[in-house]
Amino acid sequence: MGKILFISNRLEKIQQYSEIFNKKPYEFFTSSDENAIFEIVEINNPDIIIFDHSFDNIKQLIKKLKSVTTSTSFIFLTQNGNIENDITKYINAFLTEEMSDELVLSTVAVNLKTKHSLEQLSDTNKNLADSLYRLNVLYSTSSQFAGSLDKEKLINYMIEGLDKSLSFDLTCTLCTEDEPVLLLNSLYEISDELLSALKLRTVLNYKSLFEDKKPPFEIEADTLKVVKTVKYPANRFTFTLFQYDNMFAPISLGDNFFGCIEIFKETPFTSDDATCFQTIAQQVSLPLKSATLYQEIMETNLKLEKLERLKSEFISIVSHELRTPLTAIKNSLDILSGGRCGDINESGQKFLSMAQRNVQRLAGIINDLLDLSKIEAGKMDYHFANMNIHSVIDYVKSSLSVMAKEKGLNLIAEETPDLPDIYADSQRLEQVLTNLVSNAIKFTPEGKNIIIRSHTADASQLNTPDCFKEDIQKLQGKYIVVCVEDQGIGIAEKDLLRAFDKFAQIENSLSRKVGGSGLGLPIAKQLLQAHNGAIWCESELNKGSRFYFAIPINIVPAKMEKNLILN
Amino acid sequence: MKKILIVDDEQDIVESLKFVLEAADYICYCAYNGEDGLKLAKEIMPDIIILDVMMPKINGYKISRLLKYDNKYKNIPILMITARSQEEDKLIGEETGADEYITKPFDLDDVVKIVNRYLGQ
Repeated sequence: MGKILFISNRLEKIQQYSEIFNKKPYEFFTSSDENAIFEIVEINNPDIIIFDHSFDNIKQLIKKLKSVTTSTSFIFLTQNGNIENDITKYINAFLTEEMSDELVLSTVAVNLKTKHSLEQLSDTNKNLADSLYRLNVLYSTSSQFAGSLDKEKLINYMIEGLDKSLSFDLTCTLCTEDEPVLLLNSLYEISDELLSALKLRTVLNYKSLFEDKKPPFEIEADTLKVVKTVKYPANRFTFTLFQYDNMFAPISLGDNFFGCIEIFKETPFTSDDATCFQTIAQQVSLPLKSATLYQEIMETNLKLEKLERLKSEFISIVSHELRTPLTAIKNSLDILSGGRCGDINESGQKFLSMAQRNVQRLAGIINDLLDLSKIEAGKMDYHFANMNIHSVIDYVKSSLSVMAKEKGLNLIAEETPDLPDIYADSQRLEQVLTNLVSNAIKFTPEGKNIIIRSHTADASQLNTPDCFKEDIQKLQGKYIVVCVEDQGIGIAEKDLLRAFDKFAQIENSLSRKVGGSGLGLPIAKQLLQAHNGAIWCESELNKGSRFYFAIPINIVPAKMEKNLILN
Repeated sequence: MKKILIVDDEQDIVESLKFVLEAADYICYCAYNGEDGLKLAKEIMPDIIILDVMMPKINGYKISRLLKYDNKYKNIPILMITARSQEEDKLIGEETGADEYITKPFDLDDVVKIVNRYLGQ
């Protein structure tokens, strides 16, 4: 099938061409009136126009027609094969006066075929471009989905993606999170009556998803909250909107229901449109689930932080409250054991000492609890200064030598002379070393040695059991390393790391016998972390332990450096 | 004999302090809340005050401040005793003019030593 217009003012030619083309599969028109030509072109949109060279102002006419037609092929009937150069650029083929009817017919047929092939190619190209654009939209929408953990944003990305790929006139998105809400994204303004109808339609759509089952949320059209976004508020939709083509899909949140979406468009949706719509509506499901999980994690974190704070406050308050009655008990025991109320016999004195010892122990536990709660709340005060580790070792040795002696142990300090200074809080280091040495005293049987050693070492030379490797890897540069070695009960390799956990006193009848809060080592670990140092141990069951701690040489801890600069 | 005022709402602690300080030849006056403590301080003009911080009606910080800002009483040494031991509390104690600061549980002998140092016994 092809529509052919022949423009000529020669009757014999018109007659000849009519005879050639006035048969199937052609529809043939002729014209010799310039004004009528444009009318025919406009109404019939011919596939081919054949121009006779004899027509007046033919060049002007060709130019004019070229500007009003898009896909029409132009064929020029020449006189003796003469062609003017500037005509060739508008013309697809040529005929001559001498050509036989068959040749004219076949030339036109070939041109018609070429034209149809080009049209098909152009259609295919257009479809390809559309598909490519849609793929791009799907890709960018997926990227947006992957980059967000905010449900509101995810729904907006979904609607944006649908707009870009389907150019809808209106979407009605029902979201059931917290309070159900209907999101209307519309090209034009929506009247109150139309809005009521849309709400009702959405609720019916929603209920239809669950057939006979009870829907997960009670949603009523009258009370449904609406958030409306209108692109061109100057125009209004009417009820003819319901005659538009539409598509509807549920939106799930992982395996659960989240909402549903209905989309309206004046022109009909294609099957590709339907696929694209389903894809985008399904794609949002997983990100929505991730966003929900993220939200839950954030909420849980907040709760945990609050609990942690409450716990610290609780420990702090309880510790303070425990000190008052403890003071009264201690004072009474001190008065009695000091003989201020008269003589006490030997067994009475023994039980008084027992009570005093346990008061001391209880006071130690309370102090440990308070220290830990202060460290965890970031309220521990440090007084950093240049100092030498010898002073710490000397202090601890002299204060604990009596305790060691009472237990029949030798407390020995083997120090390397002239160790460089460190920038540290001497009181806190005394606390750490006191803890390590008193632990060694507690766990070492009579007649054995406890040795405190100190030396300098490069971080790369530090050798620790595997479980402490992570802590040691953070160290860089030179360190003072202090080691407390005992010949006590030791710790099994699997329990080494646990020794530094809060309240994780290693399960052992001896450890229960010697008591303690089990907080000494966790506190020591935190105190050393505040010094940019580390603590670790090597041990073997029944062969003793070596506890080490390392403090950086000449390194001002970051927090203190800031204060120093300010000062 | 020198006079000591002990102000603490914990009667047991007051009792034990009174016991050792009387044994060390001091006269002890006791008050069990801040209001009574302040009144008694002005009444008897003690040579030293042992003051608890957390008390009903008027707390130890306030009593210390009121006395230390009054020319008539500012020279009376104040030994502040508290169950709180955080550094910031210590700073508040110093700002309010306490001369000494010890934390519960304390050693009774330490209290006697501090009192002796201030009262020259």
